[in-house]
Order: sequence, then structure tokens, then C-alpha cells
Amino acid sequence: MPLIMARTGECNTIIRITGKDETKRFLENMGFITGGDITVVSEMGGNMIVNIKGTRVAISKSMANRIMV
Amino acid sequence: MEIKIALAGNPNSGKTTMFNALTGSSQYVGNWPGVTVEKKEGRLKGHKEVVITDLPGIYSLSPYTLEEVVTRNYLLNDHPDVIINIVDASNIERNLYLTTQLVELGIPVIVALNMMDIVNKNGDIINTEKLAKALGCQVIETAAIKGTGVKEAANKAVELVRLKRITTPQHVFATDVEEALDIIQGQLSKTVKASQKRWYAIKLFERDDKVMSTLGLDAEIQKKIEKIITDCEKIMSDDAESIITNERYEYISRIVKKCTIKKVTGMTTSDKIDRIVTNRWLALPIFAAVMWLVYFISISSLGAIVTDWTNDVLFGGWVTNFATGALESVGAADWLIGLIVDGIIGGVGAVLGFLPQMLILFFFLAILEDCGYMTRVAFIMDRIFRKFGLSGKSFIPLMISSGCGVPGIMASRTIENENDRKITIMVTTFIPCGAKLPIIALIAGAIFSGATWVAPSMYFLGIGMVLISGIILKKTKLFSGDPAPFVMELPQYHIPSLKGVLTHMWERGKSFVIKAGTVIFVACGVIWFLQSFSWGLQMVDPSESILASIGTVIAPIFAPLGFGTWQATVATITGLVAKENVVGTFGVLYGISEVAGDGVEIWSRVAADFTVVSAFAFLVFNMLCAPCFAAIGAIKREMGSWKWTWITIGYQTSLAYAAAFIVYQIGSVVFLGQNFTILTVIALAIIAFVIWLLVRPAKKLIPVVAAQH
Repeated sequence: MPLIMARTGECNTIIRITGKDETKRFLENMGFITGGDITVVSEMGGNMIVNIKGTRVAISKSMANRIMV
Repeated sequence: MEIKIALAGNPNSGKTTMFNALTGSSQYVGNWPGVTVEKKEGRLKGHKEVVITDLPGIYSLSPYTLEEVVTRNYLLNDHPDVIINIVDASNIERNLYLTTQLVELGIPVIVALNMMDIVNKNGDIINTEKLAKALGCQVIETAAIKGTGVKEAANKAVELVRLKRITTPQHVFATDVEEALDIIQGQLSKTVKASQKRWYAIKLFERDDKVMSTLGLDAEIQKKIEKIITDCEKIMSDDAESIITNERYEYISRIVKKCTIKKVTGMTTSDKIDRIVTNRWLALPIFAAVMWLVYFISISSLGAIVTDWTNDVLFGGWVTNFATGALESVGAADWLIGLIVDGIIGGVGAVLGFLPQMLILFFFLAILEDCGYMTRVAFIMDRIFRKFGLSGKSFIPLMISSGCGVPGIMASRTIENENDRKITIMVTTFIPCGAKLPIIALIAGAIFSGATWVAPSMYFLGIGMVLISGIILKKTKLFSGDPAPFVMELPQYHIPSLKGVLTHMWERGKSFVIKAGTVIFVACGVIWFLQSFSWGLQMVDPSESILASIGTVIAPIFAPLGFGTWQATVATITGLVAKENVVGTFGVLYGISEVAGDGVEIWSRVAADFTVVSAFAFLVFNMLCAPCFAAIGAIKREMGSWKWTWITIGYQTSLAYAAAFIVYQIGSVVFLGQNFTILTVIALAIIAFVIWLLVRPAKKLIPVVAAQH
């Protein structure tokens, strides 16, 4: 399912990130990689703050939709 | 021999703090990613021959935003002798990702394991010896904020250069990848240094366009390399870039597991705060309350009290009386007394009077930036800004611009999307900066008898114009396309240090004082001269002066906006040098000093030239029109072309003219009961035109075939 449907506070594993662009590459560099853990800290109208490898990263709804967990 | 040390690391890992500790300078340190957008150089304390370069933070050597390009170019082309890689130890896994790339550059690397104080406080343990062995480079524990380990890191770096020992990467990729890399390395020409071959091979494997073009390989070799990559991708069933990224992270996970013991923790305090301040219902009310409080304290309540005191008592009374008395007692000529008291003290004093108010505002802004809240606001605002064609990241430049437009424009570099960045640069100076505050305060006091709604209305006007411009500009052909997805690291909250906040406040306030002492000082002197003398260099009544005759020629341009007097015209034009000059000019022209001890009098003289409506139009125009020269310079630098600079200035000035025109023409009819004229009709037409710009469908790149049908 897309990350956008994940519940706050629950730890999920990234299955893949769809699409192929600069932003995807940037996310991967920041630690959003297949098999990595991801936890939603806060959600606001689809925009999310997630915990990835111990850091907090804010991502917009369109991005959260592309992360499959 | 000169030694060049480069400081590289993730954003917000403490590079600038370390830079300050090593060089003894006081560069601004903030708690959000992207504080440093340009490289800065300094010399190691006590070692003149060692040059240290502070670089903007990067997540990897594949740049995403402009300031990351600055860093990569420096590391590749400026050949630093050694890199100190600052690693945030409290967040070691993500930070080491960059380290794995830095060690491949063929430059000696030392890892400064920073923020060890936080790690120790959390009760985590990092085995630095094991880590050093696994990475293949020396690791030194530091806590830059307290200055521990910093000297040692620098000494070790210098020593490493003297020994000429190059760091060799310890990490090997999967066999298939290594084979591919070997073949690619073989294709590289002899111009590439042997120590850098591996790095270039990896970059080519990742299909890095910029590296590809700098190497200038033959088409045939390019084809060959592409074939190797696609073959490898087939075997690994993933794209080349992801293969490299995943392998690096897997490698780091192994190292981290081996070298660290981490206490299991639940939600951190930071997360708990985020639960509240980024809550979907509470986020906006909290933000509104915070901003209201900041502006209420610094502008309306406390700020107004100190500003009134400095203006009326300090400069209006004491300084003026003292200067007049002193000059008269030594028998100075009348014109000299005039120049000093009316010109310089009147003008500079009128500007400096607002310093306390500004310092209070800067103090609060520094707290907001330093504690980590500002990045959250960018996140909160993203949803709203997106509706207006902007990204949440535009918020940080806007917020900084409420202090000063120049760093605000510079801060736009962190916006990755070219279009978003350009729009942000074009609109960011609509937010009233510190230097525009005095203009607001003067008009509010003189014409609106200090009504508290005037200042906030200017901020709303600024924000409104930003949003309107966002929509209008996005719909033009120049900027079509969606804003880039929002991705931004949020730092941990921390209690701002008083020293940091005060330094930051002073840094911003200082430039204001320097401006008052230089540019505004000179400008006020010149204006006093021009308004006191006629073309025949006779001392005359201001209405017959040189300034009046120049102003009168230009004034008709502003007549449709309601302030076609030569004084207001001159004030507006001097505002281009620095916005504080608008008030300085008023101070000189209306004589702040002649009304010693009673500030109300200058106000009444200003009031005689304005109506409520024309004063508001004057404010609107001065808030929105072309910014000061310093900001125009920053726009030129960030836009990188004169064409875009002129587009920006042109857009801002025509928007300002249109808005002021509408305010004056419509306002005169509605509030002053004046007759409906042809100008009123034009104003209504402009409104209709703007509405059309807002609602028309966006320009999309429609395929030609589809358009013909």
C-alpha cells in the first residue's frame, strides 16, 4: 500500500518507490531505500513527517503516494 | 606551504559551528538545513598557512539543490588537500552515506564524529576504533558546540597532508558491479588522476550527466559504457543508481551494527512536540498565535514604547538640543548647524530611532529559527502554498525577508525546482523587511494616529501579493508546471542558546547600523544640501530648492497614486538606495529636529501633504516596488542574468503601481466621497484584468496535433 495509508506511529518497511526522477534519487540518498524501515510521525492533509534512519523528514502528499510499504 | 582543509558533511551536522571554533569567526549558525548556501573561507587560529573552507551541507555527491552543486564543484575542482567530514554521531547511519562517497574522491579524509555530547547523554556507545578501521580513515570524537576535539581534528588533518597519505575506500560493491566498474575504469582516459578513477567510474555507472559531460568521452566509449550498465542492471534487476545507493546503505548498516550500541528509545521529545505543533487541526492556529505574538511584542507593544522614546526623547530632544547648543556656543555658521542638525541628525536619527524595534523583532525571529520551529512551518505551509503554485520551502526565504530581503533572496537556493526558486526570488521582497518598518511606523503615526491595524495590514498585503503573484506567474508560459514535491529534513528541536540568538540578532542589526552610518548618513547630507540650496547655490526656501525642482519634474508620475508632491517623490526614489532612506528623507524634508521633544509636530506636517487614502497608497507603493540596491544585487546574483533581474524589478514595480493606483482611486471614491472619474474606471479595469489573470486556465504545453483539432 502507499505510505499515505499507513497509520501514525506504526513501523513499516519500504517495498519500493515508484517513478524515476531527481526527487526519487534524492529520497534514496536521504535513506529511503528498499527494505528500510519507515515510521509516520505526523500527518497533515496528506503531507507527512516520517522517521527514516533516525532522522525526521517532511514529505508532501504526492511523494508519500509514491512510497510503497 | 599553504594547506587547504575542506569541511564537508550533511546539512545541519555542525560544520559552521566547527568552522567558527577553528577560525575564531562568527558565521551564522542556525537550526535548519541550508543555513550555509555559499562556501566561506577562514584561517586556522594560530596557523596562518592553513585555510579552512566551510561548505554548504550535502547528503551525497549527487547534488539535488544549488548549494549542493557549490560543494561538489569545490571538492572536485578546487583540490582541497584534506577533507574533514563532519558526521552527526546522533544520526550516524544517514551521515556515513556521504562518508562512503567522500573516501572515494582520492583526497585524504578525516571523520569528525560530531555531537558526541548528545550521543553520550542518550547513553549510546560508538566504538570509534572499529569505525575507523571499517571506514579506512581516522575518526575523531568532537563536540563542536563546546569546542572539544576540534583542535585535534585540525591537527590530525594537517598531519595527514604532511604524510601525503591518501584514504583508500574499504567498501566493495557486489561482484557484478565491481566487474562493471573495472571495465568502465579501463575506458577512462589518462587525464583522470589514478586516485580519482574509481570515483569517476562509479559516477558514470550512476549515469551522472554532469560528470559525463565534464569528461567529454567519445560517443563510442559512451555507448560501450551504457551497454555495460544495462547488462549489469539486467543481472541485478534494478536501476544502476538504486543499486549503488542500496549497496552503500547495506554496507553502512553492517558497520553501524558492528560499531555502535544504541539504547532503544520510543518517541523522542522532538516527536512529541511535532505531534502537537504539526497536528492537522492545531498547526495553523498555533502558527498564527506565534506570529501574532512576535509582531505584537516587537512592533505594537514593547517595540512601540522604545521606539517612541528613542525618536522623541533621545534623537528629537537630547541629541538635537545638545548638538545645536554645542555648535552655537562655538559660533558655527548657520548652514553648518543646518547640515548637522537638520540634515544628518534629522535623517540618520529618524532611521536609528527604529533600531530598538527591529532588534526586538530580530531577537524573536532568531529564536524561531534556532529552536527548529521554522522548518515545521515550511511543512505546515506547504499544503497552503501549493494551492498558490508555490512550495512550502518558499516560506523560509519569506520569513527571513521579514528581517532583510538580501539573506531572504539567498535562502531561496535551498529550493530545488528552478521555477519555484525564481518565483520565490521575485516575490520574497513583498514581505515588509526591517528597513520598511520605519516607513510603516511613520505613516501609521502621522496619518492614522497610530492605529494598530496599519502594520499588520502591510504584512497581509505582502503575503497576499506573494500568493496572488504565485498564481499569476505560474499561469504564464515562463513558469508553467507543478511545484516540485516537498522533501525536507526536520532538525531536532532544541532550546536556543542565548549567545546564539543574541549574536544572530546583532549580526542583522549591525548591518542596519552600518547602513545608517554610511549610506544613509551620506544620502541625508546630500538631500539636505539639495533641499537647502537653489541651482544658483543660494540658500533658499525648500520649495525653491534644487531638490524641489527635480522632484516636481518626476512627481506627475505618482500623481495618479495620490502622492504627487515633490517630497514624497524624492523619498520614494531615495528608498532605492536603502528603504530606511524614505524615513530619513522625510526627517530632513519636514525637519524632525525643529520639533524637539514633540514628535507629533513632524507628523502634522507630513499629514498636511497626505490624505488617509493617499498615505495608504504611498505605503502600498513603497512596500511592493523595486527593493533597495542591495536586494537588487542579490536578485542579480541569484537569478544569474540581467534579463531575469529586469523581469523581476519590472514585475514588482508594475504590481506596486497597479496596487497603489487601485487603492488611491477606489479609496478616494469610497472613503473620501470624491467623484467617479475616468481614473476610477481604469482602476476597476485593472482589478478585472488581475482577476482574469488569476482565473484563466494555466498555459500548458499542448501538443500541436491536439491543438489543431
